[in-house]
Amino acid sequence: MTDESSLHAPAVSLTALTKSYGHGKPVLKGIDLTIRRGEFFTMLGPSGSGKTTTLRLIGGFELPDSGEVFLGGDKVTSLPPYRRDVNTMFQDYALFPHMSLQDNVAYGMKIRGVGKAERSERATKALAMVHLEAVGDRRPSQLSGGQRQRVALARALVNEPSLILLDEPLGALDLKLRREMQVELKNIQKQTGITFVYVTHDQEEALSMSDRIAVFSEGVIEQIGTPEELYERPASGFVARFIGSSNILHENGREILLRPEDIRLEQQDYALASHEDGLPGLVQEISYLGPVTRCRVTGADGDTGVTAMVPSRQARGLSENMAVRAVWSKESAYPLSS
Amino acid sequence: MKGFSALLLATCCTAIMAQARAADLPTSIGKGEGDLNVVAWEGYADDAWVKPFEQQSGCKVHRKYVGSSDEMVALTRMGGGKGFDVVSASGDAALRLIFGKNVQPVNMSLIPAYADLMPELKEPSFNTVKGVHYGVSYEWGPNVLMWNTKTITTAPTSWSVIYDKAHTGVITVPDNPIQIADAALYLSHTKPELGITDPYELTQPQMDAVVALLKEQRPLVKKYWALASDEVDLFKSGDAQVGAAWPYQANTLRAANVPVQDTIPTEGATGWADTWMISTHAEHPNCAYLWINHVMTPKVQAQQALSFGETPANTKACAEMDTMQPGSCKQYHADASAAYFSTIKFWKTPVKQCGNGQNNCLDYAAWQRAWQQVKQ
Amino acid sequence: MTGGRKLLGHVALLLPPFGWLTVFYLGSLFALLLSAFWQVDSMSGEILHEWTLDNFRILATDSTYRVIAERTIGIAVLVTITDIILAWPLAYVIARKVGPRMKLVLLVLVALPLWSSMLARIYSWRLILGHDGVLNWFLRTAGLPEQSFAFTNVALWIVFTYLWLPFMLMPLVSALERIPASLPDAAGDMGATPFQTFRTVIFPLAIPGMAAGSVFTFAVTLGEYVTPMLVGGAGSEFIGNVVYSNVGVSGNIPFAAAYSMILLVVVGAYMLLARRFGAFDGA
Repeated sequence: MTDESSLHAPAVSLTALTKSYGHGKPVLKGIDLTIRRGEFFTMLGPSGSGKTTTLRLIGGFELPDSGEVFLGGDKVTSLPPYRRDVNTMFQDYALFPHMSLQDNVAYGMKIRGVGKAERSERATKALAMVHLEAVGDRRPSQLSGGQRQRVALARALVNEPSLILLDEPLGALDLKLRREMQVELKNIQKQTGITFVYVTHDQEEALSMSDRIAVFSEGVIEQIGTPEELYERPASGFVARFIGSSNILHENGREILLRPEDIRLEQQDYALASHEDGLPGLVQEISYLGPVTRCRVTGADGDTGVTAMVPSRQARGLSENMAVRAVWSKESAYPLSS
Repeated sequence: MKGFSALLLATCCTAIMAQARAADLPTSIGKGEGDLNVVAWEGYADDAWVKPFEQQSGCKVHRKYVGSSDEMVALTRMGGGKGFDVVSASGDAALRLIFGKNVQPVNMSLIPAYADLMPELKEPSFNTVKGVHYGVSYEWGPNVLMWNTKTITTAPTSWSVIYDKAHTGVITVPDNPIQIADAALYLSHTKPELGITDPYELTQPQMDAVVALLKEQRPLVKKYWALASDEVDLFKSGDAQVGAAWPYQANTLRAANVPVQDTIPTEGATGWADTWMISTHAEHPNCAYLWINHVMTPKVQAQQALSFGETPANTKACAEMDTMQPGSCKQYHADASAAYFSTIKFWKTPVKQCGNGQNNCLDYAAWQRAWQQVKQ
Repeated sequence: MTGGRKLLGHVALLLPPFGWLTVFYLGSLFALLLSAFWQVDSMSGEILHEWTLDNFRILATDSTYRVIAERTIGIAVLVTITDIILAWPLAYVIARKVGPRMKLVLLVLVALPLWSSMLARIYSWRLILGHDGVLNWFLRTAGLPEQSFAFTNVALWIVFTYLWLPFMLMPLVSALERIPASLPDAAGDMGATPFQTFRTVIFPLAIPGMAAGSVFTFAVTLGEYVTPMLVGGAGSEFIGNVVYSNVGVSGNIPFAAAYSMILLVVVGAYMLLARRFGAFDGA
């Protein structure tokens, strides 16, 4: 696995993967993907888009109908999970209920025949990394959801794999815990330098943690890029809609993306600056969200409308049914390729 | 037999005496109550004579069959003895039922056939205590040796075949503590030094020898049969080819075209003498008397004798037997019953008192335990 | 006030079942315990209400009863182990390998024999194993030596194993169904081969199912007497047969009670053991 060529090979490389279940419709319709070493890579998409299936194909839990899977340059397409240098953090954590936390974490080492002393030392260390070293002799059933999630992380880290797969690991946590864990996961990934492949349907989570993101839709990858690229230069209407909130305007048969935070609401009817576009209309709806206030403005024809996010301080004077003009700079209007 | 009865009198309790004086015997047989609950040996309540009885008397017969005297006693004692009206008890069960006050005295003046009974069976010790009749003697017969003539071509003449390793796995004997007496009878011939004179009166050393023989026999036994129909099944399927049986099984098997033969071996045989008895708590006493009178008629006596392969107690049955099956009266010894009667060692309940005045014989509880040891 | 009324309501609700339990179940158990210290008059069959340890003395000194108890427990253990081995492959397939429709079909097939009379099923084994039975007919046709399992302890073992297999299979299936698919995935993910996964994850997690199944295969076999009577031979007596013949044949209820005490103790100890292994956790 560690010959000269593989040192420079990407962590994961997928070529033309297809997969369908039973006689149903195809789940993956040809996935090509390269994940670099040490990267925090996220597969983002709505449920049923194929992201989890792709993850399972990387882990070896399922086999593709066609296409190949390479890990560190080696073809592993038909290898079972136990012959892949990959560890997975499962959505339900998959902790063994009949073992203590210590034994859960040490499981992989025990299977590979690591000595008892070393096993115990490394497991304790891994538990310390997630602040659970004091309760190593407890059973998973005695832990809270957040603690279980940490054990699952420790269990994946302790084997020092070249790649960790994370299948919506934060899905079951409440918002506050979730934010904390996002930070912690990202820090651990940076510290260890292990390649993380992260599956989520939460675009905010994806944006805040990832080095790069692949957006999945109906079995194909719509776009791969950094969070900025995806947000600012979405390749399709689907990506634009899925990432962040967006206004899509139609102009001469083309779709124009306009982010709500790029829109200002002018209460006086004055002429537009030359570098600005605008839409006169009535305020339909005002929602106060704390730092920003969301306003829905509907144009005179009743069909066209935009949603604007304005800093709450500047929105103080607004009220429903007030006549305003929504304005934005020409540069912030991004034409989508059709 | 006489000694046995005398000993019983000497040992039994005053309660029996009190019962003996009982003056409330029925003086006439009234109208049938419509039902009759019968506890009987398999083959003792055959439709051939039950149907006519039901028509004549209007008593509907409900039958329960048993395979051993112990089972018979247990069944009649269940629920305080209220579950049955009449029972066809063998000598060993009959005494236990009398002592257990499970059966009531019978007024013989209401039983016309009593006059025709064999003299030996008018007041035998197993159903008549101090002149009080607790039932009417019915039929009697030997426990025979039965074998499959196709697999055992030379007719055996000794009980030794059922203790012979040559027949390992194809032997069957009754699952019944009284079977100990069969082994004791055999040993009284093969090991006279044990001093067994009566197979029902065994001291501890004699019992030990018998149990040892029976334990040696166990590995040869395919199955201990509990019901006559069990043994019939075993011979039909070929799982058993030789064993201790009643003539009834041999008759049933021959009727089903299974090639079996039966005999009384040279050592002699144990046997039974059955008595119809009436429950102390009989709910249908009139039907009970009607039943006994029906089954004591020469015709039913003959039918029973031929179907089961035994000897009737009613001496008038001989002619009926020959009518039904020429030569059968002689074949089943109904013509010269007295001589034949004395050759059979009839079942009786073992008690502590031996016939020779000693008190060191084993009682029936000990026999039951010994049988459990044999079966394991 | 309302709390008191609520309590009263609970008591009223629980009184019938608890009363039933106390009177019929514990009451009869107590009567059993009591009668074990009585004796029966062998002639009249009457129970003598005089305290005696005779029944227990006989049980302790007569090796017959030890042999019978050992045979009963031994065959019950053997049947349990055999059923566990036989149930595993099918339970595994039903729980983890087939679709819901096939699963239903298989479960119905497993349960099908339970809709027929147990006696009929035991008798049919007599027809299979008998000297001139179906099995020997096949063996003869195939030119193989004949078997003579009928009326032996081997027959008992076969028939018990057959009778209780569904009762081992069902709890095992439900135990296997309760194991999330992610657990074997996780084990494989950490390097465990399928066999290691089975040994370290699936098998230990199925122990409660096996323990629940063994309550039937072990405890019910232990108390059986019908099957030994029908398919057993000479030397196939169970504790239940001794109890049965003492109650139903020789009318010695005190001795039967004393011997059933042993059964009760063994089953009680087994239930505690089964509970430790989680047999009753799923219920």
